[in-house]
Amino acid sequence: MVKFLKLYEKIGIFILIVAASVFLAIVSPNFRNLDTILSIIMQGSYGAIIAFGMTFAITSGGFDLSVEAIMGFTSVIIAMLIPSLGFAGSIIIAILASCFVGFLNGVLITKVGISPLITTLSMQVILRGASLIITNGRQVVISQKSFMSIGASKVFNLIPTPIIYMVVLFAIFYLILNQTSFGRHVAASGSNEQAAKMSGLNVNLIKTVVYILVAFSASIVGVIRTSQTLIGIPTMAPGFTLNVLTIAILGGTSLAGGKGNLTGTLFAGIFISMIYYGLNLLNVQIFYQMLAVGITLLFALFIDGLRMKYLETAKVKGIRV
Amino acid sequence: MNENNVFIELRNIRKIFPGVVALEDVDFDVRYGEVHALVGENGAGKSTLIKILGGAYQPDGGEILIEGKPVTIAATSMAQHFKIAVIYQEFNLVPDLSVAENIFIGREPKIGKSFINWKKINTDAAQILKKLDIDINPRKFISDLSVAEKQMVEIAKSLSMDARMIIMDEPTATLTEKEVVKLFAIIEELRKKGVSIIYISHRLDEAFKLSDRITVLRDGKKIETKKTSQTSQDEIVSLMVGKVVKDYFAGKKEWTGKEEVIMEVKNYNIADSIYDISFKLHKGEILGFAGVLGSGIHHLLRSLYGAAQKTSGEVYFEGRKVEIRKPSEAINMGIGYVTEDRKGEGLLYDMSVLQNLSIIIIKTLTFFKGLFIKQKKELTVFNSMAKELDIKYANINQRIIYLSGGNQQKVVMGRTLVSDCKVLILLEPTRGIDVGAKAEIHKIMIGLASKGISIIMASSELPELVNLTDRCFVLYKGRMAAEFNRENMDEEKLVAAEIGKLSYLK
Repeated sequence: MVKFLKLYEKIGIFILIVAASVFLAIVSPNFRNLDTILSIIMQGSYGAIIAFGMTFAITSGGFDLSVEAIMGFTSVIIAMLIPSLGFAGSIIIAILASCFVGFLNGVLITKVGISPLITTLSMQVILRGASLIITNGRQVVISQKSFMSIGASKVFNLIPTPIIYMVVLFAIFYLILNQTSFGRHVAASGSNEQAAKMSGLNVNLIKTVVYILVAFSASIVGVIRTSQTLIGIPTMAPGFTLNVLTIAILGGTSLAGGKGNLTGTLFAGIFISMIYYGLNLLNVQIFYQMLAVGITLLFALFIDGLRMKYLETAKVKGIRV
Repeated sequence: MNENNVFIELRNIRKIFPGVVALEDVDFDVRYGEVHALVGENGAGKSTLIKILGGAYQPDGGEILIEGKPVTIAATSMAQHFKIAVIYQEFNLVPDLSVAENIFIGREPKIGKSFINWKKINTDAAQILKKLDIDINPRKFISDLSVAEKQMVEIAKSLSMDARMIIMDEPTATLTEKEVVKLFAIIEELRKKGVSIIYISHRLDEAFKLSDRITVLRDGKKIETKKTSQTSQDEIVSLMVGKVVKDYFAGKKEWTGKEEVIMEVKNYNIADSIYDISFKLHKGEILGFAGVLGSGIHHLLRSLYGAAQKTSGEVYFEGRKVEIRKPSEAINMGIGYVTEDRKGEGLLYDMSVLQNLSIIIIKTLTFFKGLFIKQKKELTVFNSMAKELDIKYANINQRIIYLSGGNQQKVVMGRTLVSDCKVLILLEPTRGIDVGAKAEIHKIMIGLASKGISIIMASSELPELVNLTDRCFVLYKGRMAAEFNRENMDEEKLVAAEIGKLSYLK
């Protein structure tokens, strides 16, 4: 069992992707064409990008349930400001405002000492409320068509821009987590907070920056989605937080903290998108799709739970893993 | 009732843990209404013995007789069945329930089958508390009680189960003088009721004040059981220490301390744990701190590292007055700290051996001021430290938890050493590691001291202190009780000072 889990940790998500690809290639001739594949990856990029941030949060020993509301918040701010500031200015302000929300999350969690669950869940409700207040409960149409180029165009007439954003953000987040001292500090804080403190790390600051990163990644997706629809939607992406959590955990980032796997997150994002595509293909109703994502999350948590349990046993028995 | 009035008797009890004989052929008995004190150094086997009586451990040999009949105490619930209650140092109380609920936990009086009879539970609890003359509102939550009050609740709980024997493990370690008096009155009360008590304490004067008999354990063996009235504290101390040769020491180390003072602590106080401590630390010196639970040493040393706050006092480092408010300030100054609680605040479980070793200094091993890690530099630092400390690992990416205790300890020590500290605070540096690794850690410490690093070391292993330290301070209830140097230090005196038996020193 330990061996299986060890193997799963390394290549589990790739096996899932290969299996899903084979299945889709058999049942759908369409799947064998590049446009379809790129479209699946693009659909997966939204969840994956936020899950990069979420991976940081989980690695630091917490998580963030406010991400879907941050998307809507971003969307609303852009829609309200774009007539006066133009799209560049409004995007920057929307992202900064979202980062400030992440900062608030971080301060409430570290300084005030409220649990990440309660803090970010409350923040979700607060932001949703604020977004609805700002727009008076309506969706706001954006008239500036050039804004569409952000999320709805293709590079070289082939690759949708969201994929480019995903790859760039993956590279940045990957470097931060694995190649910088800050990334090391994040993992240490999640691995054993007390030990991190005794090593002289400013755990509160580290975690606060992590929540800013999550908010940043959620805000980016908020920008992309708003640009695609040209509508400021205060209630954007209800329930999307669960998708994001599923992706991060399925990718092999342990809820126990201390161990983040961004490569796994990237591929898990694409895998979830494949599930949706497959279910659509089979004409499965949207309700069942929700069911499928829920089950996937449970499966990922199940594997994570097994891993914690078995690695714990292995540790006690002194088995080399 | 049999003729000797013996409630419980242990015959030839053995308990073996991998690699250690914790108890060897121990005979022990407790009579009705007797207070039986159990004393011995750390690691003598006291805890193992009470865990066997409480059903937490199973003996590997020997038999237990209760009122003359052989029994097995296969689980803690069995101990309850035999009316044996154990009050451990870390209490078994649920903080978010009331006093009454805790007293009757699992045995709550019910209305019908499912509903708790709140009226009855509170009046019953009040009655028990009153019987013991304890003034606590049964509706109060445990989390609002002081340590002493929690202890009283534990006692009330054992009485509510009609306990016939209560085992108290270091009950006074964290109590104030006044609370101790109260506890003693209750013990006296229990004795009159015919309840037997096993009383474990590091404080000999308490054992003498309370007990009818005293049993001394040493290295897992029973040394002797004495009638308290027929022995003296001096005799008990020498029985506790014995004249054992700890052969794993290569011999006393050379004096490494120099004249130069690197750190000075003046009139240091910490609320409720440290009172007016002053001392000087010399360059290259190994300074020991000895004391039993409740001595306050850990509070003192944590606070010198900035991990706990002092209430008053001054610290001078290299001649300058300094304020150390958090660990990072201590690290920057050149003070390193190696925890005694490797699991709780040492190991970064999910991270590799390499990452564990470099975590303190990783920020300095980067390009562009804290941006990208210089992988090669990190590896060089790791390799040289791993070589210096002789750390054994499979590969640098191996997770730290799969190393042996001794190697984990070396990594945690190495983590501090790579930060180039001038003063190293070591708490229980050899706890939970095997004899061979102990000797290695000792060698490392001597090497560091001869390089001019000053070491402050707290240890509950007296041979370690006697053989390694240049000077050794003994703290008793937060105050400086005695100071020894290499010429006048031996285990016997350390023990005597640790348990507040200073007259023995003269």
